[in-house]
Amino acid sequence: MSVRSHLGAKLVRNLCTLIVLSSFEVQPRIACADEAVKVDFARDVRPILSRNCFSCHGPDSVQRKAKLRLDVKADVFSDRGGWSAVVAGKVSESEIISRITSHDKAEAMPPGGPEKRLKPEEIATLTNWISQGAQWRNHWAFEKPVKTSLPESSNYRWGQNAIDSFILQRLHSAKITPNPEADKNTLIRRLSLDLTGLPPTSDQISEFLADTEADAYDRLVERLLASPSYGERWARIWLDMARFADTRGYEKDRSRPMWRYRDWVISAMNQDLPYDQFTRDQLAGDLVLGNTPEKRLATAFHRNTLTNEEGGTDDEEFRSAAVKDRVDTTMQVWMGLTFGCAKCHSHKYDPISQSDYYKFYAFFNQTADNDRGDESPFESFPNTVQVLEIKSLDQEITSMAEKSNIGPPKKADFDRLKSLHDKKNQILEACRTPIYQELSEKARRQTKIHQRGNFLDPGADVSAGTPESFPKLKKGLPANRLSVAAWLFDDENPLTARVAVNRHWAAFFGQGLVSTPEDFGSQGQSPSHPELLDYLAVTFRETGWSFKSLCRLIVKSATYRQASTVSLESAKLDPSNILLGRFPRNRLEAEMIRDSALRASGLLSPKMFGPSVMPYQPDGIWRSTYNTDKWVTSPGEDKYRRGLYTFIKRTSPYPAMLTMDAPSREICSIRRITTNTPLQALITLNDTVYIEAAQALSRRMYQYGNRNDVDQKIAYGLHLTLGRPAKFNELKILAALYQDRLAFYKTDQKSAQSMSTNPLGPLPEGFQMDEVASLTNIANVILNLDEFLTKP
Amino acid sequence: MIQSDMLSLIPILEMRMRLKMTLEREIFEDQILGMTRRHFFGQAGLSLGSIALAQMLSGSQVQSAETVAQNPLAPRRTMIPGKAKHVIYLHMAGSPSQLDLFDDKPELRKYTGKACPDELLKGKRFAFIRGVPNMLGSPFKFLKHGQSGTELSELWQHLPSVIDKVAVLKTVKTDQFNHGPAQLYLHTGTNQFGGASIGSWATYGLGSENADLPGFVVLTSGGKTPDAGKSVWGSGYLPSVYQGVQCRSEGDPVLFLANPPGLDRPGRRRTLDALKQLNEEQTKAIGDPETVTRIAQYELAYRMQMTAPEVMDISREPKHILEMYGAVPGFVPESDSAADPRTAYKATDAQFANNCLLARRLVESGVRFVQLFDWGWDHHGVSPGEDIVNTLPIKVRQIDRAITALIKDLDQRGLLNETLIVWGGEFGRTPMAQNSPNQKFPGRDHHPYAFTMFMAGGGIKGGQTIGKTDDIGYYAVEQPLDVRDIQATILNQLGLDPWKLHFNYQGLDQRLIGVEGKATLPKGLIA
Repeated sequence: MSVRSHLGAKLVRNLCTLIVLSSFEVQPRIACADEAVKVDFARDVRPILSRNCFSCHGPDSVQRKAKLRLDVKADVFSDRGGWSAVVAGKVSESEIISRITSHDKAEAMPPGGPEKRLKPEEIATLTNWISQGAQWRNHWAFEKPVKTSLPESSNYRWGQNAIDSFILQRLHSAKITPNPEADKNTLIRRLSLDLTGLPPTSDQISEFLADTEADAYDRLVERLLASPSYGERWARIWLDMARFADTRGYEKDRSRPMWRYRDWVISAMNQDLPYDQFTRDQLAGDLVLGNTPEKRLATAFHRNTLTNEEGGTDDEEFRSAAVKDRVDTTMQVWMGLTFGCAKCHSHKYDPISQSDYYKFYAFFNQTADNDRGDESPFESFPNTVQVLEIKSLDQEITSMAEKSNIGPPKKADFDRLKSLHDKKNQILEACRTPIYQELSEKARRQTKIHQRGNFLDPGADVSAGTPESFPKLKKGLPANRLSVAAWLFDDENPLTARVAVNRHWAAFFGQGLVSTPEDFGSQGQSPSHPELLDYLAVTFRETGWSFKSLCRLIVKSATYRQASTVSLESAKLDPSNILLGRFPRNRLEAEMIRDSALRASGLLSPKMFGPSVMPYQPDGIWRSTYNTDKWVTSPGEDKYRRGLYTFIKRTSPYPAMLTMDAPSREICSIRRITTNTPLQALITLNDTVYIEAAQALSRRMYQYGNRNDVDQKIAYGLHLTLGRPAKFNELKILAALYQDRLAFYKTDQKSAQSMSTNPLGPLPEGFQMDEVASLTNIANVILNLDEFLTKP
Repeated sequence: MIQSDMLSLIPILEMRMRLKMTLEREIFEDQILGMTRRHFFGQAGLSLGSIALAQMLSGSQVQSAETVAQNPLAPRRTMIPGKAKHVIYLHMAGSPSQLDLFDDKPELRKYTGKACPDELLKGKRFAFIRGVPNMLGSPFKFLKHGQSGTELSELWQHLPSVIDKVAVLKTVKTDQFNHGPAQLYLHTGTNQFGGASIGSWATYGLGSENADLPGFVVLTSGGKTPDAGKSVWGSGYLPSVYQGVQCRSEGDPVLFLANPPGLDRPGRRRTLDALKQLNEEQTKAIGDPETVTRIAQYELAYRMQMTAPEVMDISREPKHILEMYGAVPGFVPESDSAADPRTAYKATDAQFANNCLLARRLVESGVRFVQLFDWGWDHHGVSPGEDIVNTLPIKVRQIDRAITALIKDLDQRGLLNETLIVWGGEFGRTPMAQNSPNQKFPGRDHHPYAFTMFMAGGGIKGGQTIGKTDDIGYYAVEQPLDVRDIQATILNQLGLDPWKLHFNYQGLDQRLIGVEGKATLPKGLIA
């Protein structure tokens, strides 16, 4: 109250606005307070209990009060000596209601004062739930997904596939008309960005526009799915979760060759390696019978954990920290669980006990790595280029050896031989990747519970096993990582498929059907379209865990193909676009912005794979302790590679990426939260990368069309960046800017020279410097347009 | 400029702005900032509409009074009454020896060279000490200063003059004894990566008072960034907009601030005008409020290009102020180009002094949180440039005058009351001498059980010493403090309730002081 009294008239005004606004906010929740509406336990009731009650009346037996669990059906309804927490249909006999409405301090629940109390609409929801019969369901995400029959949409025909039936059903009941299909320029730009992370080239656009066949879009989808860039785009998302980086982290943060793993992910995506195999190779490729180098390389997934080389550290401390990270990451990535909460104590909200945690930990506790400075165990995995190099070195070594058999040994030959061996070793070292290796039977570790999460405080012995509340390992499977991989893909596993399809959905629509992709547990959000989520999950499994099929299904839907314009109607009825009556615009990801600018300017190198590269970075960024590594800008085309290949130093990530919301890759990151800040504006305005791109783009514009037709050149620049014809107003605004800038650069040749050539280099013969400089200004503006930075 | 189709767009924009607010909603829905959630949305909803309206109708400069949704760094009300508006946190990375600077132990001197008793070693883990080390009393004299009679080592020449403004905390304890994890624990509340730093909590809770500058600025000296890397000023699970922005004394003060060669400020303005017009066309066509926000961000960037170099330019200070700090504009220490900067440290290196002066200028301009990291305090005595007898005095001379000047200067400008200064390392150093096989100089190992920090200004009661350690400085014997208490105090002084300020991530209410919330405000510390 004291706060309110300060606010006066403004508050009153604000509250009035609020009342207007809140009428379209979170409709389902508000609606539950209305007695006429059927309360859905999973959607409406369980979240309230979880949020307010589970921390004392939930899975954690240590914190549990009054021996009462409100997350378990039996406890909720049982007779506890004349009373029950809930009596179905009888509000007045349900203890829970009398407690949450009580004014008696000793009785009132939840305890902790007024701010902890339930909101009136929450109380109403619980009351209605009980009076409607108190139907109980387990947490939705812990029940196996089932495909329901497609909803019949009544008299409105719309849609391309099953997805649309589910989307339309909800839109229909909210009386929202979906947007029409986006125009072809928008479609190809959106689709190219989503499937390959790159905007379409001018030729690709022309080809698509000219293709008037009915299946033009379908063929475009196929072409993009088959493009090698597809793997690069989808690897990016996986690498955030795999916490892939080029250094070890912590104090010294020395570099570590992990790039062969990155390349493995790209190739796996391009081959559409089914998710179950993709998983098995990464979690346990070393245990697969007759494993190949490729499979052993895949296990570097869990060797992306940090290694602490700081002097005076206890290796066991940081080995166990790495194992915990692997456990947490595995459960986050595949099951969408915040399993890590159970490291120190049993989970407060989900049925995961501390012993569950260390039982699962035991699977991962048997590998030979031990926070060592040499990163052993490791293996060299030369790529195709390196294999050829080694081959030719070997040939020379052999021929020299043969030669030395003939005559007496010469010093020059000896030196040559040594240098050949050195070269070979260098190559082998550059691809020497840390991998997983299981300890021998004799050397196996006994896993104990770490009390309060402290590795120095061992508790009871535990043996490897899956969490109690989830399906068991299939009978007869050994207790190892290979079996964990199988367990994740067991038909009974309720989470793996849902979590994966949700993440894929989010990659296209900016937000998952479950808006908390990192938490499918009790504290996470309920899905906006549960039946659709399950339909996608089951379909994903049925189509052999094919990511490409999943992408195909999503992008072929009419839902995906909608225009993104905001009509007044849909904005009013669904301001947050939960129901997807329009395609949501989203800012491009950090890497996509870089790649788009490079592609539009023609600088982008198509080179794939290989060691990470160093594009322009301001001086003085790297100053790690006890480490003299230097950032040296890569020569030639390597500085124009896709963002995915940029060297990632954990203690000092590439600043332009970090500012654009990319993570520092120290821990698993499931989603990036997009922000919009002035520091981001400064990057695309001034970073050398973008200035050089503007220069290259301006040279393309300069060469286009008639020498004196500025409008034509500007239109070409817009076409190269935005993939669509220019509009009259745009030309007018930019042509005016051009004339203004030209007047300036005509009088200032020095500025003209810098603007047009630094850092790209001298202009080709016959280029008019002041004109190119002016076009560079235009290009700089274009590369900063909201439309350029946004997926349409 | 006013067009009827623009007017009809306003409601759409308002609605769409709510989509954009998904982010802000996630951030604030559980946050208690003296506002109810509904109030927050009400306020935001209203002002968003008005801003969009004002902007589009006038087509003029963006309003400076951005709201939260327009600018997540817009200033916000405190949760509880707070004394400090700003924090200047001086972190001595590597961890200075409390026993040679603050905590005099005559008893320990008596045992110098004698073997350390068994009970101090049993069950303990040390970073470098192995076997039985010898005790090491301080080679430096201690004197009492000020009305408070606070004891300080003779290495401090200037600090004594302001000691009555300073509260010395002698019994701070941490959980970690390796630099990286200890720095993370101190600055982000967890020894693992992924936590949010104190400065990011401060800007998340309060925003910043000057939109033309970053709300959380980091300055480094000593030739290296802190051991744990840039995560010590990262935003972890908080949105990246709250992360610390490292400002530099060489090159652009803020990365990418300068226009490219060949484009002057009027030229930049012309390009931004065109950009704005084009983006407004886009707003008309699509109706996405995110575009409106983007227009505003570009205007902010343009103003930051002007403001930041001005604020960061210490050569604008009068001579007497420069001298007071020992600051030298444009100073580049030799140690910067040395392979191991520690071997080239000089007492006259002015980088830290420059940063102190900058910190004052930043705070004066409304920056919420300024954090200085000075590297080179890890004095094991194994190699040149890292021992107690030779290096420590040099390092103290690099900071002594500057910190003293900072306190005085803030005071004379009336800013000390509203600016909390915090000084310390990530842990302390052992009363035992390090005994590595290659030991060349007197040095001490890492000591987490009790170490000294100090605070001044920002509603702290100066002229006092809090806590007492045992006769050799091993453990606390009176008023033990924890790193969590320091974190809690900083938030509390800013008007943020350390137990309530939280962010829901992975289903848990994350807090700076930890999920369990075990922290207390040190008794007697707050005025």
